[in-house]
Amino acid sequence: MGSTNSTLSKIPNAGDLMQETGFSPAHIVRLYDRYKALDKDKKGHLCPQDFGAIKELAMNPISDRIIGAFFSSGQEVLDFPSFVRILAHFRPVDKNRPKDPNSPEHINSRSNKLKFIFQLYDQDKDGKISRQELLQVLRTMLEKQVTEEQLESIADRTIQEADLDRDDAISFDEFRKNSLWCPSRSIKCRATD
Amino acid sequence: MPKNSDIARKLEEVGIEIDGEVDSAQENSTPKNKGGKRTATEKRGKAAASEDGEDEDEDDEPLRGRRAANRRKVAQNETLEEDSDDDIPPRRCAGNRRRGKPGGSAAESGGGGKPNKRNKRGGKKQKEDKVKGKQDEKSKNSSEDSKSERGGEEEESMSEGERAQLMEEVEEKKKLIANIRNKPWRMKRRLKHLKEAQLFVDKFEGALGKGKGRKLYAYKVMMMKKWIKFQRDFENFKTACIPWERKIKEVESHFGSSVASYFIFLRWMYGMNLVLFSLTFGLVVIPELLMGLPYGSIPRKTVPRAEQATAMDYSVLTDFNGYCKYSALFYGYYNNQRTVGFLKFRLPLSYLMVGIGTFGYSLMVVIRTMAKNADVGGGDGEDNEFTFAWKMFTSWDYLIGNAETADNKYASITTSFKESIVDEQENQKDENVHLRRFLRVLANLLITCTLGGSGYLIYFVVKRSQEFANMDNLSWYEKNELEIIMSLLGLVGPMLFETIAELEDYHPRIALKWQLGRIFALFLGNLYTFLLALFDEVNAKLEEEKSIKNASIWFMQEYHANYTANNPNDTGTPPPIDPSDVIRGPCWETTVGIEFVKLTISDIQVTYLTILIGDFLRALIVRFLNYCWCWDLEAGWPSYGEFDISGNVLGLVFNQGMIWMGAFYAPGLVGINVLRLLTSMYYQCWAVMACNVPHERVFKASKSNNFYMGLLLLILFLSLLPVVYTIMSLPPSFDCGPFSGKERMFDVITETIDLDLPAFMGTLFSYAANPGLIIPAILLMVLAIYYLNAVSEGYKNANMELKKKMQMARDEEKNRRNNKDSTNQVLKDLEDLLPNRSNLPQKPEERKAPKVKPGAAGKGINVQKDVSLALANPNTRGLMTQAPGPKPVGCLPGNAGPGHKGAAPPPSH
Repeated sequence: MGSTNSTLSKIPNAGDLMQETGFSPAHIVRLYDRYKALDKDKKGHLCPQDFGAIKELAMNPISDRIIGAFFSSGQEVLDFPSFVRILAHFRPVDKNRPKDPNSPEHINSRSNKLKFIFQLYDQDKDGKISRQELLQVLRTMLEKQVTEEQLESIADRTIQEADLDRDDAISFDEFRKNSLWCPSRSIKCRATD
Repeated sequence: MPKNSDIARKLEEVGIEIDGEVDSAQENSTPKNKGGKRTATEKRGKAAASEDGEDEDEDDEPLRGRRAANRRKVAQNETLEEDSDDDIPPRRCAGNRRRGKPGGSAAESGGGGKPNKRNKRGGKKQKEDKVKGKQDEKSKNSSEDSKSERGGEEEESMSEGERAQLMEEVEEKKKLIANIRNKPWRMKRRLKHLKEAQLFVDKFEGALGKGKGRKLYAYKVMMMKKWIKFQRDFENFKTACIPWERKIKEVESHFGSSVASYFIFLRWMYGMNLVLFSLTFGLVVIPELLMGLPYGSIPRKTVPRAEQATAMDYSVLTDFNGYCKYSALFYGYYNNQRTVGFLKFRLPLSYLMVGIGTFGYSLMVVIRTMAKNADVGGGDGEDNEFTFAWKMFTSWDYLIGNAETADNKYASITTSFKESIVDEQENQKDENVHLRRFLRVLANLLITCTLGGSGYLIYFVVKRSQEFANMDNLSWYEKNELEIIMSLLGLVGPMLFETIAELEDYHPRIALKWQLGRIFALFLGNLYTFLLALFDEVNAKLEEEKSIKNASIWFMQEYHANYTANNPNDTGTPPPIDPSDVIRGPCWETTVGIEFVKLTISDIQVTYLTILIGDFLRALIVRFLNYCWCWDLEAGWPSYGEFDISGNVLGLVFNQGMIWMGAFYAPGLVGINVLRLLTSMYYQCWAVMACNVPHERVFKASKSNNFYMGLLLLILFLSLLPVVYTIMSLPPSFDCGPFSGKERMFDVITETIDLDLPAFMGTLFSYAANPGLIIPAILLMVLAIYYLNAVSEGYKNANMELKKKMQMARDEEKNRRNNKDSTNQVLKDLEDLLPNRSNLPQKPEERKAPKVKPGAAGKGINVQKDVSLALANPNTRGLMTQAPGPKPVGCLPGNAGPGHKGAAPPPSH
């Protein structure tokens, strides 16, 4: 583990992070490298501009939201532990990692993942995706060929599909249910979750 | 010791999977711990006296364990610093968590060692089984302990504490496997757990072995990872190998799946033609060129002297006369030598076999593709519940890092939304049903009339042209009447149909199918006239040939008579005539071949020119004249062209029909077709991207383009008929082609059977050809088809029934949810389960259920409501009233996880 380990020892709180997020040391080291690579001018933390340099993100219609998700409200800097914590959302769900009713859920649990996505859409953080928020996303995602009227009906339709309590907005619960339903693969989905 | 740590390191480096597992194993212990603790305390409260002995055990064990752990730790610190780095954090954390727990017994709160956990897990196990007596439990505990004790000693220097836990896990799973029979579970669940446990044991037993086993395990894991990676790479490679995938995807993203379906069809066609091409060229053309007699050696391979002067002229060559006609492209060039070259390649036989094989292969491929598509088509219902929501939240591909790809993705998202909108519009359209029906009937009536009229027109014109054929001094119109009428029909018909189809107002996808079917019917008339004309020609040629044959036979006899009269000693030398001077028959096969090749070529020209003028030029004009025109050309009348799916598909299908019919008489035709398909792929892709605009209503093509395939199959069958007819009943030309000199073409087969196969094979074949055998065989096949059809019908019905049921269940569920404003997934799941299990006694799931209920925090009332609903079955009452057992422990509101786990908690956790 020679070189790897020496790097690992340089990372502050690596052990705690691993414990918390379930990353292996190798993962942590790699993430740290990536973190440092992103941090272009070596200031020790990341800021939104650093993320903007990632090509894949720049292409994304909701890139600003994704970047925003890394920065908790109001903050402009991101340190390594938070970086890792956010990325832990993307670890695959551990099938045989048991549920612990007493402790908070693992970051990479299904519902936390969903919550993460949900927050990308829920811009005003009121726990609901409103029609306006949907429209914003649709506008960025679709080309000009689609008329505003169609956009609105798409948004209405989306809400109508997911909305269970008829409040014209998608709450997290509804969002979750929505995503548990996989079109034409429903049986498989249910079996795995 | 260093060796062991090495392995550990290897394991570490090898990867994520192991890490994950080990981690999870480590994590596993904590919840069990807690569960165990709870039961342990309860137990103690209930019957302290009887538990004393056990408690002592428990107290004792952890001490020993801790000591062992300490000892181990020291050793590790001394010898392996690297290792401890990895080792300590989890252990420390585990310790922390344990310490943080309130309400544990002294021994528990102090315990840091692993054996402690084990005991607790025992407790938990007991809680789960309940059927087992305490005696049982105790013995289990002790056996487990002793085992792990041994394990602990053995491992001593082993890298992680996790190993011990892993060991326990494996032990536990093994135990589970052993007594799964006794568990009061449903069979399904038992099987599931059994399978899981076996998998687990298989996976980790190796990791716990000593020395070699461990290494082997590490190696296995490494290989597994490599294999997975290889598989992934291979998949990527396979995708990269699909020709034109990128092009088609690009078209699809801009024009929708309907246009893409044409290109996919084109690609499929190219693949099939490539096989036909390799068959024909590999087994017929190339052997003849390599091993057959060279050009100019015999009359059929030589241009006649009369034509030699112009044989190289461009105009002659483009008509496929001159050197083209006497080349390996056409039937007439082939020699009737039984074998060619040193390989004794039986060329005539091969020629016939390839001719038949072309059809056989095509039939097989078309039908197989259809069957496969039908399979795909059956799988995806139109039952997508959350179409828009899914598109909305999941359509972006987060791996896209290329600006162009991103553009395509934007386009494709837009297109797919549009497609969904069209589908949706169609679903919601329910105005005047009667009017719609009336209009549709009317439209079909009109179209039937049109088709009938055009059919009669064709028949009439053909009749007239046959009359004209016998007359002289015709006007230009009378000469070309047939062609003019046919092309007019081909031009007007589709437009007329399209106009009439507006009446019907079908979904564009269905409208396309109707349109295709109708134009197909119209074009069949085209085919009919063409074939009729061809047969007339063939018959004329046959007559002509008969006279020439007689003449040439007479000539030969004369010559021989003279020759033998002059030199009585010598017989059998051929007359010393240059091959180009020999009198020869018209060779109708080559004529037919030339007709087909010409037709194909002109078809290619027309198609390409249409694209160039109708699309490209139009686009240019619209684009650039728009700057100086009085109205907006782009939005107004000419506008840009749309991609004509029906026309293109039909063009492709009919072209393929020509190829199938002509390939027997012109082996080179397949090569031409391959080139055509190849160029048209690039050309049309370019044209569609450069000069067309997407359809006004972009619609989603049906996943299986079985309709295209159906048309193709029909055409294949139709083109099979004339070819088989000529092979079976027309005599081949006497002086050209591989079958010359034979009565019928298929005589090659009988000849081969007689000459090359042993005698008994001949008799065998003659028996097989006996009508007494063939008729029963056909009957049997018909019966088999009937039976299989009935079976598939039955399956289809069952399938539909199930689909309906699923849909109903889902609707019901949705309604219920909507009505009651309840969103508790767990309860829903439970409700679904209840009626099935009502006859079973207490089950762990049910007991666990109340615990998760509060998962949807603050919905207590709803919970009650749901429960009462579930109580419809009186048997379940016992279950549910027992509910408020363990208290609701802080689940996060809306946690999906515990809810779902709660519905079916695996005992291993």
